[in-house]
Amino acid sequence: MTAITVRDLRKSYGGFEAVRGVSFDVAAGEIFALLGRNGAGKTTTVELLAGFQRPDGGQVRVLGHDPVKDRRRVRQACGILLQEAGFFPDLTAAQTVEAWRAFTPAARPAGEALELAGLGEKAGTKVRQLSGGEKRRLDLALALLGRPEVLFLDEPTTGMDPAARQATWQVVRDLAADGTAVLLTTHYLEEAQQLARSLAILDRGELVTSGGMAETLAGGSGRVSFEAPPGVGPEDLPLPVTLEGGRMLCRTQDPDLAAQELVGWAAARGLRLRGLEVRTASLEELFLEVGGDA
Amino acid sequence: MRETVAVARFGARLLWRDKVALSTSVALSLGLGIFLPLMMHKLGVSGGLRVHLGLLAMIVTISAFQQTVITLTARRDQLILKRMRATGLGDGAILAGEIVNVAAQALAVMLAITATLLLAGVIEPPAQPVLVVLILALGALALAVLGAAYTLAVPRAELAAVLAMPFFLLGGVGAGGFGPLTELLPGWITQVLHWLPNVAFADLLEQAHTGAGGYLPPLARLAVFVAVAVLAIRLRFRWEPRRT
Repeated sequence: MTAITVRDLRKSYGGFEAVRGVSFDVAAGEIFALLGRNGAGKTTTVELLAGFQRPDGGQVRVLGHDPVKDRRRVRQACGILLQEAGFFPDLTAAQTVEAWRAFTPAARPAGEALELAGLGEKAGTKVRQLSGGEKRRLDLALALLGRPEVLFLDEPTTGMDPAARQATWQVVRDLAADGTAVLLTTHYLEEAQQLARSLAILDRGELVTSGGMAETLAGGSGRVSFEAPPGVGPEDLPLPVTLEGGRMLCRTQDPDLAAQELVGWAAARGLRLRGLEVRTASLEELFLEVGGDA
Repeated sequence: MRETVAVARFGARLLWRDKVALSTSVALSLGLGIFLPLMMHKLGVSGGLRVHLGLLAMIVTISAFQQTVITLTARRDQLILKRMRATGLGDGAILAGEIVNVAAQALAVMLAITATLLLAGVIEPPAQPVLVVLILALGALALAVLGAAYTLAVPRAELAAVLAMPFFLLGGVGAGGFGPLTELLPGWITQVLHWLPNVAFADLLEQAHTGAGGYLPPLARLAVFVAVAVLAIRLRFRWEPRRT
């Protein structure tokens, strides 16, 4: 079942086109990463999907509803972790969650939401005394309060330590396994690669690539690298190779085949390719390849 | 309705935790509304009912109008309104809850002032006591709604109190809170001040206190302001700080 449908979405501020004809779908139970450099249009897209802003063009449906016209219905089924939103600094974490429970239909108990976000031990701490990462976890607790069918996570782990980040990833995976559709924006490409089943990369408001994570990565340039054998230059090799920091580097769509050819070439000449590495493109390489620079 | 009450209760809880808001909105209002008339009464220079009503016009401006402007601009600039909108709450429930909370606090303050001055014999018992209470409630709500609309003109929360202050002073002059200053002013200024919503509120109260019964003109003046404010809120209310 499709939870989020976006078709030819457009939004401008004055003369600046923040989102230009973006289209994608997110299925129930899917974690979808929306990536792009600063100002690429990620947050604007999330805010359009959550109904905070009205699109200038195109169509958005969340659980079949228009997020602007049916805002209440959409919001009641969604959890939204905004990139920026305020707290009341003099309330404790527990008081904050308890207050928000009054605004959320069928809310989880406050303790459950805090435990889920890994903030149980800080329940009695005032918000002003929480670290940046702990405030982010409080954000997460509020986003999870209403047992959402769709979860928007805009930079969810900013400021978190590695343990908290891992715990948050597990929470997100568990929610998706229970059928929640998750739209994730993040600058941590490792996070996107760890969590997401599919992705879209935005650049200057336009979608530059999208699809399943594995297929999209497979479509990017893989690489074969090894230490430069003594007396051998890049021009001697049978494939296009560059010399980078004392290592030969071959970028190719099919790194397995390239490795076979290079090893065969070396064996025929009695050479050994020391430190041989063969791998498909990482998300970071793909990201840089398509024009982003996170 | 349940949502509006939830927001109003939450706002009340926050107000009572906020010592600065309490001192400006509640303590200042009580001080101005009770101790000034009491002192004047003891000195034998009591300005009578019109000064009391003029002071109430100033107090409703501080405790309902200005407090709404301060609360909503602070919540807007701190992105708390945005966070509230991220819940299942409707926009109307969020605004109505904030307005009802501030109006209820303002009503409580004005009732306390009126009751104290009655008990102290500074003012005479009103001819229409139930109507007085209703008009106090109506005025508090109306001024809070006007405060919500006025946030459109307030660029940043730090300017909220300063930009609301002229209405406090003009209301005080126009409604007689500073004494019969309007008698010293040119007629056209008095006419302009006469149109202020807090002055219309004082005029309505005067009718209920004296039992004169000319409610319609001041009620119409107040209603025009409220209608324009509601329209402005519906069309242009800013939930977030300006992006540019």
